[in-house]
Amino acid sequence: MHVPVRLGPAELKLIDQLTAAGAVAEAERLSGAGLPTRRVEAYHYTDLKQLLRTVPELAAAATEASVPALRVAGAYQLMIANGVVQETGTAPAGVIVGKAAGGVLSTRDDVVTRLNMALTKECLTLDLDGSVDPVIQIDRRTEGAAGHSTSAAKIFVADDSSAVIVETYAGSEQAHLGNHATYLALGKNAKVTHITVNLAAAKATHFASNEYHLAEGAQLRTLIINAGAALSRTQLFPRYEGAGAHADITGLNLVSEGQHADITMDALHAVPHTSSKPLFKSIARGRSKAVVQGRLVVARDAQKTDAKLMSQGLMLSDEAEILCKPELEIYADDVVCGHGSTCGQLDEDSLFYLTSRGIAKADAETMLVRAFLAELVDPIEDEALNEALTAVIEGWLAGK
Amino acid sequence: MTTPMLEIRDLTVRIEEREILKGVNLVVPKGEVHAIMGRNGSGKSTLSYVLAGKEDYEVTGGEVLLDGVNILELEPSERATAGLFLAFQYPIEIPGVATMTFLKAALNAKRKANGEAEMSTPDFMKAVKEAGKALHIDSDMLKRALNVGFSGGEKKRAEILQMALLKPKMCILDETDSGLDIDALKVVSEGVNALRSPDRSMLVITHYQRLLNHIVPDVVHVFSDGRVVESGGKELALELEAKGYAGFDEAAA
Repeated sequence: MHVPVRLGPAELKLIDQLTAAGAVAEAERLSGAGLPTRRVEAYHYTDLKQLLRTVPELAAAATEASVPALRVAGAYQLMIANGVVQETGTAPAGVIVGKAAGGVLSTRDDVVTRLNMALTKECLTLDLDGSVDPVIQIDRRTEGAAGHSTSAAKIFVADDSSAVIVETYAGSEQAHLGNHATYLALGKNAKVTHITVNLAAAKATHFASNEYHLAEGAQLRTLIINAGAALSRTQLFPRYEGAGAHADITGLNLVSEGQHADITMDALHAVPHTSSKPLFKSIARGRSKAVVQGRLVVARDAQKTDAKLMSQGLMLSDEAEILCKPELEIYADDVVCGHGSTCGQLDEDSLFYLTSRGIAKADAETMLVRAFLAELVDPIEDEALNEALTAVIEGWLAGK
Repeated sequence: MTTPMLEIRDLTVRIEEREILKGVNLVVPKGEVHAIMGRNGSGKSTLSYVLAGKEDYEVTGGEVLLDGVNILELEPSERATAGLFLAFQYPIEIPGVATMTFLKAALNAKRKANGEAEMSTPDFMKAVKEAGKALHIDSDMLKRALNVGFSGGEKKRAEILQMALLKPKMCILDETDSGLDIDALKVVSEGVNALRSPDRSMLVITHYQRLLNHIVPDVVHVFSDGRVVESGGKELALELEAKGYAGFDEAAA
């Protein structure tokens, strides 16, 4: 017999919001299933039923804008505030900016993406062609009083084109619930760097879902940084759909006292001869929790897939927790797939060596933490962007 | 009498429940090079780590005076800026830390402790280049991460380069000859000899006499079972080589 799920105030509020938005089927679905608990594999370490206790009212249109959370010198700026795509100046060569109705993500059995699809009214669209010169920054905010806002962007990068895209998530210092989506399709031999920086307010909840489609020969590098919000979850859905497609999916959880950050990847190698190197790092201090889940699905025909999943954690306090879970689901028989995980504290011998040369202990610790992160930041070639990201990381290290 | 550069008085040290140093007494006057010889497990390396301030050891008694100042309560970094330098037997590889970044941080830490301004980048580059030349250290080696992928000889030369840059007043060389072929041993020894000066003392720890052919000590101490059992001139090293350590064990008993 089916036992009805007991719904909490967060679920009831979401059901009301879905119903008001006309998403009746979604409202019914959520009434039946409730938010996912740890028994749902994809949410094993991020039990939303436990963690998401309240949901604020849907955010009204923004009337004021806080200062940008991240400034990248020379970048072309776009903004979505409280879900509304803002007017912008003249686009650089090779960039067509527009907007369209509705959300951007493919249908999947996942509550975060479904909520985003049901509640997002409009999306930013970007068509990129050729070698796009300035860094493109999509600045997403939730402004004003505590609000629930959803936003979306759909980006097409034409064949043989290249671009660097950075997305930031921030806003006013309130207990917002932000749920953001990106659909990024790379044409044949396109080369894209996609960086996302979660700098959401300290009391906020931040959800982001990025869906990537890689055509033949496409090359993608990501750097997903979770530094803000009390509770955050960034979901990555890369789809390798053409031979020679390759992605360096990298991500970083930076968590301090009271924070819970989750990066969950669910990748599909759909065709033969594709490769990926997902590398996730987490640094946890105080009483905090960082989660990394990596799922690699290799389709029956996807022979010669080469995928190596790695997660590395650094715990700077006794109460910090880092939770990692790989899932490999391989249906082809001629593939090279692997996963690895390391977790620990700063190496005592390295610290002694550095301090024995006169470097103060705190400085030596910072050097070692920087060394741990160099692998993620060094490949970002754009100087201004590299500097901006380094500043975010240094700010976190300095305890800001 | 002038203050010795290093004076160790009745030093006793434990690691967990085991007593490793059992009352070490040793005086190294200014400008002198002393050697400590002893077999593996006699406590030589423990002594070097304790002097540099490694945490794993529990000092249960005694004093260590560097130029008259007791250093046992100081952090490793404070001992270093006070002028102590330990050349490691096994220098640590630190991926992600550029050698030059490390050298600059170490040099500026010392200058800061001495109330001096930070060294400018061109001056720093020049100093490293100059010090590196004598040690056959090329710029390729300096571009790599600290000690990562260095051969045994490169690691030891890098240690001596740090010594040359930091200009310590008390150098401890822990088994600097281990892992070196004869050519590398010569380069390293020449580097060390070039740093001998009336204001600098050295304590060379080894269990082979061969290093002492290249770095000729003023005094040789024989170390056995956690203490110095005999001290003498450089000819003591030859005697040890001939008789073996067994001949000195009675003295320790």
